Order: sequence, then C-alpha cells, then structure tokens
Amino acid sequence: MRPALAKHAVSVIALSKDTVDEVAIHKQRDGLTLTLLADPELEVIRQYGVEHHKVLGFSTGSLMLGGIPLGPGGPSFKTMAIPTSLLVDEDGRIVWIDQADDYRLRSSNGRVLGAVETAFSSES
Amino acid sequence: MAGGISGAALVIVLSTWARYLSLIPRGRVPARPLGSVILQVLGMTLAVAAILENYWSVDGPAAGVVANSTTAVLMGAFFLWLLAQRKTPVGDLKVGVGDILPGFTATTSDGAIFSTDELDGKRVLLKFFRGGW
Repeated sequence: MRPALAKHAVSVIALSKDTVDEVAIHKQRDGLTLTLLADPELEVIRQYGVEHHKVLGFSTGSLMLGGIPLGPGGPSFKTMAIPTSLLVDEDGRIVWIDQADDYRLRSSNGRVLGAVETAFSSES
Repeated sequence: MAGGISGAALVIVLSTWARYLSLIPRGRVPARPLGSVILQVLGMTLAVAAILENYWSVDGPAAGVVANSTTAVLMGAFFLWLLAQRKTPVGDLKVGVGDILPGFTATTSDGAIFSTDELDGKRVLLKFFRGGW
C-alpha cells in the first residue's frame, strides 16, 4: 500500500491512546516507519469524537526481551479510540472518513486506496 | 469416557481460539465468524456433557474432567462474550467530510511535539487506532 500512497504524496500518521513509551515499543517491534502519535490523555481522541468508553483491551506485555515485548499483557478495561481513518488533502480539508462499527474489522487496503485514487488522481 | 470428552472439548475450544487469533495479525478476521462460534458452542456443550456424565458415574467426579471442562466452558464463554462486544459506538464523530482538519498537538514516538501545523500543504492519511499490544 505504501507505493500507492507515495505516488499521491500521502503521508500516514497514526494516533492511539498509548503512552509515548508504549508507542515507541510498538514502532520498534513492528518496524514501522510512519509517524506514531501518543494521546494517553485522550485529548485528540475526544476532540474528534472517536472515543470508545471502557472496552476490554490488551496492553503491551511487560515480559521483555531486548526491549521488545514477548507477547500481549493482560486484558483490562480502558478507554481507547474507535478505529477511524481520515484522508486530508493539501488544503487541510477532510475528503474521506472511514469508521469501523465493528472494531475487529479494519479499513481494507482496497477501500483506503480507492478513496485516495478518487480524491487525488484527477488533480495530480 | 468423560475424560476423553472433556479433553476433546478443551482441544476444540482452545484450537478455535488459536486459529482465530492467528488471523488477527494478517488482518483476515472474518466479519461473521460463524465457524468459530459453532465450534466454541460445540466445545462448551461437550464440556458440560462430560461433567454431567462424570457426576453420575460410580467413581464420582474426577479432578481432570472437572478441570478440563471448566476451562473449556470459561474460555468458550470468554470468546463469545468478546465477540458480543465488537460493536463500536459510532455516531459521536465531531468531524465530517469537507471540514478543515481540527488542529491538535501530540507527542510522537520519539518524544517530540507534533503539531498539525506541520501538515500544511501535505496530503495525510490520519489513522486513529486502538493501540499496540
């Protein structure tokens, strides 16, 4: 998916309720190159209205090997973001929003790329 | 007899769990995991049947049967409960298509301050996600 996004000069930013430390671990573990943002106080999540109250989630495991967790931590109830994708054009205008009403399912590559093509292929 | 049934029940429940969890990293979780649900219910039913059969046996309840069956029922119930929690409360969304992206600041994974001012003139895919685990 990265080449298609790069073709249209779309950069990716991902935000979650994780703390800076958890985000850094996640980024290192999965070898991510996109910008990951930490919003542990849920300020941005609430600003955008994508808050999911008190759901059972899994934290990063505390059992570490070389700074990388060996598995997920125990389940606990916490407030987190509803999986949501927003596509923003160069003028800062939101051109597409995709939100999961079933958190198990994510935006598919096809849907995201379709939105990118629709939004940007005519002008670029 | 009951020992075999309770063991089979536990294997069915746990292997269904394992198969489902293995689909998550690949993003191939089915929208309607009917097969997983049927197998979990089957495993839980077998577990209960094993306990009942064992309870009325002449030797009385065996610890292994009780342990296997209890684990199978609890794990099966946990799977079904998690599945029941899958819906997210959409509808509180405070932004819409055509809006200007509301500005915010946040901290990056490097500890640096990120501001949406940096996005001026750039196309961005902004993802809210549930966090790493």
